[in-house]
Amino acid sequence: MSIPDNKHFILLGTLQDNTRASKLGKLKLDYQTPEDSVRFTLFDSFDQEIRHSGKALILSQNVLTLIQYDGETLTQAAPKAPGFVSEMDDGPVKRALGFISPLRRLLAVGQGTLSRTVIIALDSEEKTHARAHVHTLQADKSGTPITLATIQALRGYDEAFALMSRHIAQLGYPLGPDIYSLYEQLVPDYTPYNPKPVLFITKNEQAFKVANDIVTTHVQIARQNEPGIMADYDTEFLHDYRVSLRKVRSVISLFKGVYNVEQTLQLKKAFADLMSPTGRMRDLDVYLLDRQHYYELLPESLHDGLTIMYGIFSKEREKELKKMKSLLKSSAYKQSIEGLEKLYLEPGALQPGPNADRSAYLYACELIWKRYSKVCKIARAIDQTTPDETVHDLRIHCKKLRYLMDFFSLLFEANTIKSLLKSLKVLQDNLGLFNDYSVQQVSLQEFVQNHTSRNREKDLQVAKSVGALIVILSQRQLEERAKVVSNFEKFDSESTQQKFRELFKHQQTKAEVKA
Amino acid sequence: MRIIACYSNKGGVGKTAASVNIAYELAQSGLRTLLCDLDPQGASGFYFRVKPSKKLKNETFFKDVKRFTQAIRGSDFDYLDVLPANMTFRDFDIFLSRMKNSRSRLKKALKSVNNDYDVVLLDCPPNISALSESVFKAADHIMVPVIPSTLSERTFEQLLDFFKQHKLPSKKLVPFFSMVQRQKKMHTETMERMRSNYKKSFLNESIPFSTDVEKMGVHRAPVMSYARSRPAAKAYQVLCEELRETIKS
Repeated sequence: MSIPDNKHFILLGTLQDNTRASKLGKLKLDYQTPEDSVRFTLFDSFDQEIRHSGKALILSQNVLTLIQYDGETLTQAAPKAPGFVSEMDDGPVKRALGFISPLRRLLAVGQGTLSRTVIIALDSEEKTHARAHVHTLQADKSGTPITLATIQALRGYDEAFALMSRHIAQLGYPLGPDIYSLYEQLVPDYTPYNPKPVLFITKNEQAFKVANDIVTTHVQIARQNEPGIMADYDTEFLHDYRVSLRKVRSVISLFKGVYNVEQTLQLKKAFADLMSPTGRMRDLDVYLLDRQHYYELLPESLHDGLTIMYGIFSKEREKELKKMKSLLKSSAYKQSIEGLEKLYLEPGALQPGPNADRSAYLYACELIWKRYSKVCKIARAIDQTTPDETVHDLRIHCKKLRYLMDFFSLLFEANTIKSLLKSLKVLQDNLGLFNDYSVQQVSLQEFVQNHTSRNREKDLQVAKSVGALIVILSQRQLEERAKVVSNFEKFDSESTQQKFRELFKHQQTKAEVKA
Repeated sequence: MRIIACYSNKGGVGKTAASVNIAYELAQSGLRTLLCDLDPQGASGFYFRVKPSKKLKNETFFKDVKRFTQAIRGSDFDYLDVLPANMTFRDFDIFLSRMKNSRSRLKKALKSVNNDYDVVLLDCPPNISALSESVFKAADHIMVPVIPSTLSERTFEQLLDFFKQHKLPSKKLVPFFSMVQRQKKMHTETMERMRSNYKKSFLNESIPFSTDVEKMGVHRAPVMSYARSRPAAKAYQVLCEELRETIKS
């Protein structure tokens, strides 16, 4: 037998004076209110990782409280508002927040006032048999307060625990079955954010409509990131912004014939124009995030050059951020992106192409099967003598294959698609690293060539460090390159081939026969 | 799980006060603590307002794991539970003498709560008996409060002799001075003498004689919970720090 667990309640409403009973069975009830109501702030990452995990993080009077819907409520002292989890003081709350991406900053998402009451059930000896900690939260923006009650389990007093549980449950309407309802009350205007939505499409839907849905959704995701980019909370805002726009661009180029030629060209250009000013800032973010790793790659004697380089990168990033801010605020940008949104909203504004009316399912099978065949064709021919460009091509085709499978994932058997994506990912990660090492070498080379200052000694230090870095990156690239053949062989297994054929080729042949 | 006994073969030396306050302080430091009241007078339980257990009678303590664990009560303080005593505990010696392997019986009973607690503190009755032999076997450390008086010095020597005769590890003994009145010359002299005779075995901190401790019976709570800044409470805190170090090593 072990020590019993505490019980938690999330109730709609507040502890009213008229619900303050003086007795609980034979026990006397005592109410203690430690202080007047205080301010509280609710925190979460922009992608709402805390909410999605069934938790809520509250800061009040320099104490962080983590409410876990199915677990113990944790607290720790917090002299300041939480930012990145890695920068928080060590404590139970920090440890329980380990699942949050290290790249994400915690942001204030709601505020209000909090009042505390402790309800104690005492026997004739004034011994506590049950204790309930009741916190009532009143959000500034919402009319309905939320009451969080934790009944502390005291070993050996099961009867009082049960009585107290019943008593507390009657104080308000139970909220549930999950933590989402708590957020609904405390942050009524909390917009959900999901950078990787699974779009609902049916087999017979028009390819044209599917393309439009994907574009509209991802433009919306990109736009949700605009305020975060401008506030520069963390680097993920720009990253998600770019990923969404990249997905939009790949739909436009991959869904051939869904829009007519002119429309396709126009859309390609418009979205490429939106994305191009973001490239340098993202490159700098990647360098700055990898700082520790770069220092570890080089011996200490070459660190000074890196420090100079990072100083330059930090300054350049500041400039890029300023540019991004004024760009996103500019009327030209607003006109451009709102124009695109409008184009997708107005019926008849977009010009369909010859494939517009095809059914999503058959169209998806065809696109995926073709792309898969292409990947196999290129990869099977790769050996030690193949030029790097071909390996780069393979990477791009793999990425396109992945996007297509992601876009249409709902049309196919979930587990099969999942397992295929998983085996593709290993190859993609390998190719991704190969590409990163190669791109970084080129960009570092450019940096050294273009970097001249009045201080020749410093320039020399930079050249030495960056030169050494390029040598290491080139070795890493070779190592990744050597893995490509074996990783493709693993991907190209009999069972994977069979699954691709069954899912995409088989259906197409049947459809063709039918046609 | 560490088992710490608070034991003295002499009564009235501040043994229960030490058990109650040490248990409280260990729990305050985040260690999940169980205070087992083995003294039939039930003073430990009284200080925590826990009523004597009705069902944990006679041999059931050593034989019935379920009854044993069911008799445990949560105290009013976090991480601290209490196993209250009752008058039948006075016959422990008789039960134990009837049982096989009587000396390991207590350890077996405590094993049933192994995962629930970091520390089990045993408040023992003041005699050398079959129960105390069980305690000596089960405990990892045995705290011995000693009033710095001639009589107490003699009982401490008797305890050491007993350990020698029965080949028990005297390393387990953690003596400390209790109810010390520094204004009494005899107290300071005895302390000095005993510290030099039993080098390194006494804890550095000693507990002063204090009316705050006596008032525990009125407050029915550990002295640290109502007079934390007073000398006796502070002494218990320092003593516990030393104890934690001893447990670690």
